[in-house]
Amino acid sequence: MTKNQSKATQQANMRSASERAAAVREEYARKERRTRTLLVTAAVVAVLIIVVAVVVAVQAGRDTTGEAGAVPSGAVDTYSVAMGKADAPVQVTVYEDPMCPACGQFEAVSEDTLKKYADSGDVQVRYHMVSFLDTASSTRYSTRAANAVGVVLDTAGSDVAVRFHNALYANQPPEGSAGLSDEQLVALAVKAGADEQSIKGPIADLKFEQWVVNATDAWSSKGYNGTPTVTVNDKKVSFTSAHDLLANTEKAIQDALAK
Amino acid sequence: MTVLSSMDPMAWFGFALRLLVGGVWIVAGLLKLPDPAGSVRAVRAYQLLPEVLVPAVGYALPIVELLIGLTLVVGLLVRIGAVLSCILFVAFIVGISAAWARGLQIDCGCFGGGGFDARATEKYPWELARDFGLLFASAWLVWRPRSAWALDNRILHYGTNRTLTGEPTR
Repeated sequence: MTKNQSKATQQANMRSASERAAAVREEYARKERRTRTLLVTAAVVAVLIIVVAVVVAVQAGRDTTGEAGAVPSGAVDTYSVAMGKADAPVQVTVYEDPMCPACGQFEAVSEDTLKKYADSGDVQVRYHMVSFLDTASSTRYSTRAANAVGVVLDTAGSDVAVRFHNALYANQPPEGSAGLSDEQLVALAVKAGADEQSIKGPIADLKFEQWVVNATDAWSSKGYNGTPTVTVNDKKVSFTSAHDLLANTEKAIQDALAK
Repeated sequence: MTVLSSMDPMAWFGFALRLLVGGVWIVAGLLKLPDPAGSVRAVRAYQLLPEVLVPAVGYALPIVELLIGLTLVVGLLVRIGAVLSCILFVAFIVGISAAWARGLQIDCGCFGGGGFDARATEKYPWELARDFGLLFASAWLVWRPRSAWALDNRILHYGTNRTLTGEPTR
């Protein structure tokens, strides 16, 4: 009996000894795993942070916003094509993207009315072109067309530039298309009164591309993020439709003149 | 010694969530990368951040989104990626809610674009619902980061005597 008992005890002791050894091995393995996890995590996180930093630097380089660029002669308030007297009591600024359909609708209803106000000497209308819809065409139409407006303004003056701007909306390409080609832009500009030889190169080479980038940033920095945006003496006009926008603009003009 | 019990349905649930959340991040990041200036304007349109921070956030957000997406899809550091994913979704939910509450009509810019959108107000509830859904999916991955077909299983947890859901196998 005692012998058996002693054997059982012996076995129990042996088992607990091997269990203790297993526990030590397990503890060692756990420590090793923890170190490994920490090292791998640190390495991966470091690599990812470097990738983010590099990409941010690249993106900042690709975004030329704010860099100096040539400004077309005749530009009013740096970024606008003006219609009407500079000393008019009321300034109406129309922010537009060449590709924006709502701008096309506003142009269709507002051109004659705004011209009337400009001719009367009461209002200076400023067309401020922006290019935030470049991805809505396959050829960066917004930038190309806005640059073309700058080129026409620079070489042929405000009156021709306004007519060309109107023609762009009368012939507005649909969103998602390739937009008008450079040749079509040149043709419309010539029809508006620009000289073909002096505009061809700068339209193809995007001479005023940086001006267009900065014009878009100026619009965005004022807190505007859609087009058309119309301001009367720097006060934004609210609207729900093109007709509504024109009606509210006229009302704001009358209010400003009455002051 | 094997890590995976690949029969565990939870392992595949986690894998599916990784593909869903990671896939959304990859698409969102890739669509924004080509237009850094547009990304900056989309951030600015929320009118929440001070202007000095706006460009940096605009440049960083697309690549951060893309990297979170990639790490989730391949299953690399899933828990860390899921935590970041949760933080971003909370930020977006706050941003969209704040825009809605203040009557701003902006496209969320979630997948590129951004800026004024006349139909923004009808879209806000759907955008919020989507972001809440993805937030919960991300939170699940924080809670249960182990899943099938994850790089983590090879480089982090190899040799562990634990199942995917974390219980010891002994």
